[in-house]
Amino acid sequence: MENGTDEGSDAWGRLDRHALVMSIWLAIGFVAVALLARGLQAMEAIPVFGAFTVVITGFVAHVIINAVSHTHFSAREVALGLVAYALGLIGFLLALLLRSEPALALFVPLSIGLLVLAVVAIFYMVTHFGARGAFRAFDVISDFGPDEVRRRDTQG
Amino acid sequence: MTTLLIGVLGFFFVYAVYIAALTARCAHAPEEYLDGGSSLPPWCFMFAGTGIVIAGIGLYDHFLLLALYGLQYNHVAMGVVLAALAGVLVHKRLLLAARISGHRTLGNLLSAYYGSVTLRVLTLVLVLLFAVPFAGQSLSRLGAIIASATGDTIERAEAIWACAFFLFLAGVIGGWRGTIYAIGAQAVVLVTLIVFVGVGGAAGLGWTALVYGDVPAPEGILSEAIPGVMQYSAGIGKEETIGGLWTTTAVFSQALAFIGIVLSPAFTLLGMTTRPPAHYAFKQVWLTAGLATGVLLLAAPFIGAGVALAHSGPLREATVSYTGVLTALVDVDAMLAVGFVLMLAAALQIVVAFFAQSGASLFVIELLGRDLLPDLSPDGRRLTARVTLGVIYLTIALLAAYAPLLAEIGGGLALSLSVQLLPALIGLCWVRWISRSAVLAGLIFGILLVLFTEPLGLLVFESLFVDLPWGRWPLTIHSAGWGLAFNIAACLLASIFTARDAERGTRDRLHDVFLREHRQDLGGPAARGAKWSLILVWAFFALGPGAILGNRFFSDPMFSELTPALLLPSLWVWQILFWLLGVFIAWWLAYKAGMSVLNRPIVFRLQLEPERPSFEQGAPRWLEQFVRRVAPRQTS
Repeated sequence: MENGTDEGSDAWGRLDRHALVMSIWLAIGFVAVALLARGLQAMEAIPVFGAFTVVITGFVAHVIINAVSHTHFSAREVALGLVAYALGLIGFLLALLLRSEPALALFVPLSIGLLVLAVVAIFYMVTHFGARGAFRAFDVISDFGPDEVRRRDTQG
Repeated sequence: MTTLLIGVLGFFFVYAVYIAALTARCAHAPEEYLDGGSSLPPWCFMFAGTGIVIAGIGLYDHFLLLALYGLQYNHVAMGVVLAALAGVLVHKRLLLAARISGHRTLGNLLSAYYGSVTLRVLTLVLVLLFAVPFAGQSLSRLGAIIASATGDTIERAEAIWACAFFLFLAGVIGGWRGTIYAIGAQAVVLVTLIVFVGVGGAAGLGWTALVYGDVPAPEGILSEAIPGVMQYSAGIGKEETIGGLWTTTAVFSQALAFIGIVLSPAFTLLGMTTRPPAHYAFKQVWLTAGLATGVLLLAAPFIGAGVALAHSGPLREATVSYTGVLTALVDVDAMLAVGFVLMLAAALQIVVAFFAQSGASLFVIELLGRDLLPDLSPDGRRLTARVTLGVIYLTIALLAAYAPLLAEIGGGLALSLSVQLLPALIGLCWVRWISRSAVLAGLIFGILLVLFTEPLGLLVFESLFVDLPWGRWPLTIHSAGWGLAFNIAACLLASIFTARDAERGTRDRLHDVFLREHRQDLGGPAARGAKWSLILVWAFFALGPGAILGNRFFSDPMFSELTPALLLPSLWVWQILFWLLGVFIAWWLAYKAGMSVLNRPIVFRLQLEPERPSFEQGAPRWLEQFVRRVAPRQTS
């Protein structure tokens, strides 16, 4: 019974955090998309910078939520963030290749924005996990390489 | 814009259903549908509570009134600080009393503490007023703004039914907790969009004209000054005011009505079902007094100016609308226009979803589950709550779609009547000598005064009997102010004679627990005096007659021959200054004096029971028998 209660409060805890994170990103997401659309439409740099600033604010708010609720980014959140970033990057590169007018006109703000986003994420990882930990997060080879297999074997 | 708007609104409805479905999957007991297991996370109270306060003041009308009256109406935003201070005064003690006595709702708590069924019935009437006409009023506006934004591609009635259906769907699945999660998200969207639209409009549409005083105003309205301390007007509908309606007494009494939001049974349910430590202080100081008031004071006037600037033709109360500003926004940026509609829709949906859901929960907890169907199983109670929710949504959709005037008349009473609970709540939380008879006497006077200074009482009386010499809000005093003044006077007068009545023992037991285990240390006599006198001084200058000084204090000061160049209207600077002082006072009371900080575990230890039967010997026999039949109870 006690386990059931613990599981119940764990489930509520996860849902509480998820709802909070969603609350932040719903508002941030709308404003960021609106600013980006405005910037691309009018080919103005300020709304584009504004959009990236808003996304970084959302990221900082997410980190604060993690700190308050003693959690880390979940696997789904990391995956969603990476996919969104990759899509943005590919879209930007494709637009450059296709000589799209807004992408060319906004080359500097868009590249700075994407770069700063990456830097902020890396800064978070380095400060949170340390340099080695941050590197290990991307070190897929060792996860499946001979060292990991050996370690699994010795642990039985 | 129509497709984009439908897409964005649809996305938010899908989110509400999604989070509701997740909540339903996590629920372990059917009772959690009613109160979220009384363990809502503190952030829910912070975010949802702030959103409810902003939405509850009537954001839809707020911008239109700002367009009409300018900065003199902007002054009512200071009332949000007063609402925060009222929250500081009662919310922590209410949570303590609820947890100590085991009661989950305001009606049950007041009823047990004062030993009065009447108070429970009255809170249920308030719940009904908020859940049906007040929510119906918002749903009606929601339909109107969607119809206006889509150029009647979606008609008003269609929008009302569609919104009611989706809000009901989310509520019926997720219950109290799911609804509060969705409201929390809407609240963040609301605050973000007020800033976004305000800044976007100021940058793209020239709403900065507000700063230079270039915004058109209706003829005879002082848009940058408060038109006096009080005007001897017979009231709205009987006599025109000079220079505008919002005198300092109108502003102060309107601010009292805002207190009605935080004292409403629904809002107190939100507070009582939040898991301790509820972080009330953070919400009250930084989010309500700080963020909500700040956003309303600083960003909302730009939006109001935008409405006035985009209006074509003479600006009058009968003609002012959002049509012009929507067209102007679409011309600049479709996403900005969608953001504007979404901001209004978020505020209106918060009101509808919150008061409908809390209405269903409170009716089941306080009436159906307790008196009418006491033997219901937990599953039965959940089913009953869902059916009640369906009935509420059906009623408010019918009212909003086909009888919006009825919703306006009924909804206009809700806040003014809700604030009449203030003496009862102060008695429960702080003053043990306020007796049941005193509270009831005060409530009778308060309710009568509210009814006779609002359209409902005036219309009914004048159609049945004779024309009254006064209209709505005579002497530019809001009905909440009339009611509360007479309520407090009657309550204090009756308390003189009934302070040591038969129920004093019950009241003492609760206050003894407060004193023993949750003593409120306000410091020595000097510190105590400083706190209360600072509040009074602040209220006098921020909301009371002293606010009139703000008209010229920073543009043409009486203490100097110099003319300052602030680049802002003097009244606006005054408002910002006293808003910051208000945040400081709220911080001092909530944190420093500890009035909103829960630092000890709360233990259930007190059975609050009335020491006398529910009905006195003098009650009519037929009434007593009828109530005994529907509300069987042990009187031994």
